[in-house]
Amino acid sequence: MKSQGKGLIYLYCLTNKIPKLKEPEDLVDNAHSLYYQGLYAVVSNVSTGEFSEENLKKNLADLEWIKTKAGIHEKVIETVMKDSCVIPFKFGTIFNTEENLKIMLKEHIGEFKDTLKYLEGKEEWGVKIYCDMDKLKENLIREDKELLNIDKEINSCQPGKAFILKKKKVELVNTSVNKKLNDYGQLIFEKLNKHSIESRINKLLPKEVTERKEEMILNSAFLIKKEKVENFMEAENALKEISEEIGFFLDCTGPWPPYNFTNAKKA
Amino acid sequence: MEYVTTKSKDVTLLEVLDRVLDKGVVISGDLVISLAEIDLIYVGLKVLISSVESMERLRGAPFASPMQEPK
Repeated sequence: MKSQGKGLIYLYCLTNKIPKLKEPEDLVDNAHSLYYQGLYAVVSNVSTGEFSEENLKKNLADLEWIKTKAGIHEKVIETVMKDSCVIPFKFGTIFNTEENLKIMLKEHIGEFKDTLKYLEGKEEWGVKIYCDMDKLKENLIREDKELLNIDKEINSCQPGKAFILKKKKVELVNTSVNKKLNDYGQLIFEKLNKHSIESRINKLLPKEVTERKEEMILNSAFLIKKEKVENFMEAENALKEISEEIGFFLDCTGPWPPYNFTNAKKA
Repeated sequence: MEYVTTKSKDVTLLEVLDRVLDKGVVISGDLVISLAEIDLIYVGLKVLISSVESMERLRGAPFASPMQEPK
């Protein structure tokens, strides 16, 4: 039963140090912490008007609402992350009462403590690779001997044969582009992955969502030891430079809350 | 640490949404939004972006489109 007027509990993250949420600028949505057996749950009291199952579903259709709330979610966790290790929860993790939250914590306390221990001293970084298809095609055509030969033939043969060769050329270019996309994504991922402890390859987002003219070809996340981050960045910078010449763009962001690495791992 | 470029304000909303909505601990809260709803959000994002585009296209047109809501 929902107790009226008391509202709901929104869970942002867990941490093992008292979170510093006291400065006024950090008082987004009145975030505060609840202590349970060595863990601090960073929460806000939210209203059923916004976050009850029914109302949340309605609000999820409202993009402006999602943008604002997702921004708050991220900001609260980032604030806590400044001075301690965090386990970030997914947007919209809601409990009816503090008691229910504590029951959940009790149930998983071992996993959470192991995860925090595992994440200590590590950072999540994200790398997305985008490809300018036209630029890549141009480059491939310029470099590929088979394609160059076809071009020569097209220019010197009969129109009938030229037509067939042109079709063949398009096919070859497409095959070559696809191979390059796969190989290059793999290559960059492997080079960067050498500096990480764990990594994830996530689903690609379509152009309509990324708002970029280039196609996303890799969406990856890396968990990196803090002392290795500099090496990772150096590698990323070097790869970025050589990639741009052939039409690949690396976009590296971080440090993020370890959203991709929260599955409890035995340290 | 000359190479470390910390995350700055220019991190796109997309980067935040890509993580906050899709990743993080999913545990038996009393309510957690489901995967289907996340796909809907992405669909919504797509719709929103395309409507911004069409509004930009409409800007500069001498007359308001009959499809445009009066403000």
